[in-house]
Amino acid sequence: MKTLYLATLLLTLPATASAAEPATMAGHDHGTMMRSQARVWTELPVLKARMKGQDMSSRSVIMQPQNIAADAIEAWSNDLADAKGHRNLPIGMGGAELDKPATGGFQLLTAREVQGDAVRVASTVHYFGERGGKNPTAMFDQVKHELEIVPQPYPREHSRYRASEDWQFAVRFKGQPLPAQKILLETSNGSQAEFLTDAMGVATVHVPDDFKPEEEQSKGDSHGMRRSADFVLAVSHADGSLQYLTAFNSSYGANAFENRSIGMGLGFVLLGMLGAAPLLRKRKAVARKEERTNA
Amino acid sequence: MLKSLFPTLGRFRLSVQILMLFVTVYGGALLGSYTVDRISKALPSLSCAYDKLTGDHCILIVNQHQLHHRLGAALAKAGDVALNVFIPTLMSVGVFFLFFFFLNKAFCGWVCPLGTVQELLYKIGRRLGRPLNRFKPENVGKVRPAKWFMLLVLVLGLPTLAGMGVVANEMGDPFCQVCPSRIATTLLTADTEQLAVRTGTSINFFFGALGNALFGFIIIAALAVRQPFCRICPLLSWNALFQRLSPMRLVKKESHEKCAKCGVCEKACPMDIHEIGTAFGKKAFHEDCTLCGRCAEYCPDDDVIQLKFFGFKLFGSLRDYYKNRIKFETPEGQPKKRVIPILCKPADNNG
Repeated sequence: MKTLYLATLLLTLPATASAAEPATMAGHDHGTMMRSQARVWTELPVLKARMKGQDMSSRSVIMQPQNIAADAIEAWSNDLADAKGHRNLPIGMGGAELDKPATGGFQLLTAREVQGDAVRVASTVHYFGERGGKNPTAMFDQVKHELEIVPQPYPREHSRYRASEDWQFAVRFKGQPLPAQKILLETSNGSQAEFLTDAMGVATVHVPDDFKPEEEQSKGDSHGMRRSADFVLAVSHADGSLQYLTAFNSSYGANAFENRSIGMGLGFVLLGMLGAAPLLRKRKAVARKEERTNA
Repeated sequence: MLKSLFPTLGRFRLSVQILMLFVTVYGGALLGSYTVDRISKALPSLSCAYDKLTGDHCILIVNQHQLHHRLGAALAKAGDVALNVFIPTLMSVGVFFLFFFFLNKAFCGWVCPLGTVQELLYKIGRRLGRPLNRFKPENVGKVRPAKWFMLLVLVLGLPTLAGMGVVANEMGDPFCQVCPSRIATTLLTADTEQLAVRTGTSINFFFGALGNALFGFIIIAALAVRQPFCRICPLLSWNALFQRLSPMRLVKKESHEKCAKCGVCEKACPMDIHEIGTAFGKKAFHEDCTLCGRCAEYCPDDDVIQLKFFGFKLFGSLRDYYKNRIKFETPEGQPKKRVIPILCKPADNNG
C-alpha cells in the first residue's frame, strides 16, 4: 500500500524529480548541482541545511535544495514585525546562503517549482538558537503556498524530533484543512510509512526508530543529539488540472533512551534514598517524649 | 471571601506555589508549546528546561549555556572577547535580577517548583509521623558554604572552562546534570528520560549517577528535613549577591528583651536560620531566607517581624493571628489534626 502511494506520489512529480533525467534540468543548473552533491535517499523534494565555518560567530548556513529545480528559496521569519523577515534567497553555486536576521529564531524556508500542471514545493524550518525561541505559530499560520504541511508544533528550543516519538502535522490546501489526506514519510535510514489526516486535517506522525547500531556517529555532544538522520513528509493533491506536491523535511535524533540506562538510573536513585533513610528513624529520646505526651 | 479562601499567609503561599508548579511544570501543555519563551522573558523562573511541557526555563541552564558556548569560547580566543559576547550573558542575568529585584527571595519561597515539591514531601512526612531533623546553630554553618561552591564551580566555573576547551565538553551544564529538579519536574510530566542515567561517556555517567543519587537522597530527606536541597541550591547564593538591593525584604524590629528567648520564629523557619530569633535589623534578614513568611506568621508579638515592599507592610506578625495559626499547625509544620489516624500522632499544643 505504501509502495503504491509512493508510486502515485512520484507519478505526480515532473521529470526533475528523477536524477536520471538531466535534460529536464537544462534551465535549472543549480538544482542539478544540488542533486549531485547529496546522498540520494529520497526522490521527494527536500531542503537540506549545511553549516559553513568553524565557530558560532562566523558560521553561516547554506540551504541546498534537492530533487527540486528552483531559482530561489523563500524565507519567512517568526518575527512578523520585521519587515525584512520575508525574503528571497538566491540559489548560487553551493546553494542559498541563509542570512541570520537581527531577530527571529525560527525560519520557514520553501522552494517552489512549477512545470506545466505540476506545482512542487519543498519546505523546512531552520532554527537560529541565538535568536531565541519566539512563538512561531503566527509564522506557520500564514498561507504561503497552495498545499502545505505545517508542524503543530515544531520542536521548540532544547527539543527536536526524535525516533519513537509522535508529532503532529497539519495539511492544508489554500488555507483550509485537508481531512483524510495521506501523508508519506521517508527517512534517510530507509524507512517508509503512511499516515492519514483526521477531520481537522491533522496527522500524527510516528518517527521510526530506525537507527542501526553500526551507524553510530560522533559522540560527546552535551545536548544528547548524538546521531541524526533526515525525514521527509510528502502530500499530493489535485485541483482541477493542477497537480500539487508538497514536502516538509527535517532531521531527527536517536531514541531518547539511546546511551541511557533506566535500570542504573533507578539503582542510583535507590542508593540515594538508602543514604537518606537514617533521617527517617526516630531517635529513642524523641520517641519516648512522644509516648509520654500521648499518654 | 478572600479571607475564607486564604485564612493564613501559609495557605496563600501554598496556593501560589501550587499555581506556579502547574505553570512551570505543565505551562507549555496548558498554554501552548511555545509559551516557554513568553513566560521565560517575564518570569525567568526555576523550571527545568528538560521538561518538555514546562512553560518556563530555569535561569541556571541559560547561564551555563552562555558561559559554555559564548563566554568560554571567546575567552579561548585570547582577547577576542567583544561586547556581543558579553551582552547575551548580561541580558539573561540582568532580566533575572530585574525580576528578582522586585520579588527578592520570594522567588525561592513562592515560585520554585522544586521548593514546592520538597515542602509537599515534608507535609507528607508530618502526616506519616516522621521525625524533624534540624540543623542546630553550631552545625548549620557547615552546610551554608555549599551553595557558594555549587554556584562558583558548577554554574560558573566548569561551563566557562568547557567553553574554553580546558575541561571536557560534557561539563557544559554540570549543575543541570546533578539538579534534582531535572528529574523531579520531568517525572511530574510522566517523562522517564531524565531518570535514565547517560552511559555514553564516563563523565556523563558520573554526573548522571551523582544526580540520580542526589535526587533519591532529597526525596527521602525531604520527609524529615525541611527544604534539604534549597540549602545548597546555587540560586540561593545567586540571589544573595543582590539581596540587599531589593525593595522586598524581611524586617525585624528590635523588641523587648524576652524576644531572643522566645525562639518560636526560629522553629518556624524552614531554612534553620537561627539568626531570626536572636538578631535584629539587617542581620535578621539572612542570605538563606526565602521570604516564606513563616517567622512572621509564628511571631507572637505585633509587627515585630514584617514582610515589606518599598517600605510598605505586606504582612506583619500579630498576636491574634499567631494564636489562631498555632491551633492548627506547630511552628515546625506538624498538623494538629489527625489525618491518617494510625500513622499520624498529633502534636502537643505547646508549639
